[in-house]
Amino acid sequence: MAEKINPKIKTFNQKEWVKTNLSYQKDPGSWAWILHRISGIALIAYLFLHIWSISPLVQGKAAFEQKMATYSGTLFSFVEWFLFAFVLFHALNGVRIIIVDWADGAKYHKQLYLYTWVIGILLFLAMGLIMFSHIF
Amino acid sequence: MFKYKSSKDTGAKSWIYQRISGIALVVFAIGHYILMHFQPEAGKTYEAVFARMQFSWYRIIDLTFVTLALYHGLNGIWGIFRDYDLKSGTKITIISALILFGLAFLFWAYYIVFSIPYGKPMP
Ligand code: HEM
Ligand code: HEM
Repeated sequence: MAEKINPKIKTFNQKEWVKTNLSYQKDPGSWAWILHRISGIALIAYLFLHIWSISPLVQGKAAFEQKMATYSGTLFSFVEWFLFAFVLFHALNGVRIIIVDWADGAKYHKQLYLYTWVIGILLFLAMGLIMFSHIF
Repeated sequence: MFKYKSSKDTGAKSWIYQRISGIALVVFAIGHYILMHFQPEAGKTYEAVFARMQFSWYRIIDLTFVTLALYHGLNGIWGIFRDYDLKSGTKITIISALILFGLAFLFWAYYIVFSIPYGKPMP
């Protein structure tokens, strides 16, 4: 930890992220970071909700299906689709972070980040097809 | 005493666990999505859940999934708090709340899975 900090390398200050993200010096990495954080928080919030919403399984079929009925319908399908977008971003970007940390990903940083988005958008569209092809 | 303890923890272990649980969660999440959405109408009915829960190995997978997801999510939240310089009293309060909250939901999830009977479904 006693290494000298190279002044040419701009480090990202997490505590100042609002400023960084709003400044003219924005860089894709800081957006990746804040989106990862937002999607992570959204997912843990969803997980609590999710456990609560499957809890009528305890009471049996009637109670469970009554609960699930409130979550069906086209509007909720859209909500689920966007939930999938959060899952996708967090999962793909999480894998990207792990590759950067453990597999020399820092050498091809930009390509990795591009792949994250390309794969993510393709899977998002594919999921839309699976989810909505039987509705429309 | 608490100060000493918290300053000794560098967070390196939780950093590694965060990555390992993340990799595992990819597998669980893919499986979960295939089950729930590959046949959108048939994947999440009571019958479908009941049929899966007849296999104890499925219950084990399910419970591993919740355990890892809760650990990973709450460890992540703890990591966010760790970005800020908090007093050690605040830290202890936050981490206790996270652990209690996590355990409560973990036991609730286990209770839900174990309450689904083997054999004959509940009406
Ligand atoms: C699907 C597979 C997943 C992968 C590959 C993954 C990967 C990761 C990684 C590598 C980190 C550490 C980021 C860092 O140290 O900079 C992280 C943070 C986090 N993850 Fe996940 N994760 C996944 C699923 C989840 C789920 C299901 C939840 C919620 C229950 C979640 C919630 C969080 C939170 C809250 C953080 C902290 C965010 C932050 O520090 O800014 N993750 N994830
Ligand atoms: C919108 C899409 C989703 C649907 C329709 C769905 C549906 C279900 C259903 C019906 C169950 C009951 C148990 C089973 O059949 O295995 C379940 C359990 C579970 N789901 Fe999901 N799920 C979805 C998304 C997610 C996401 C994004 C996560 C990760 C954060 C997740 C995490 C879990 C966990 C951990 C359990 C086990 C809970 C327990 O054992 O009590 N699910 N899900």
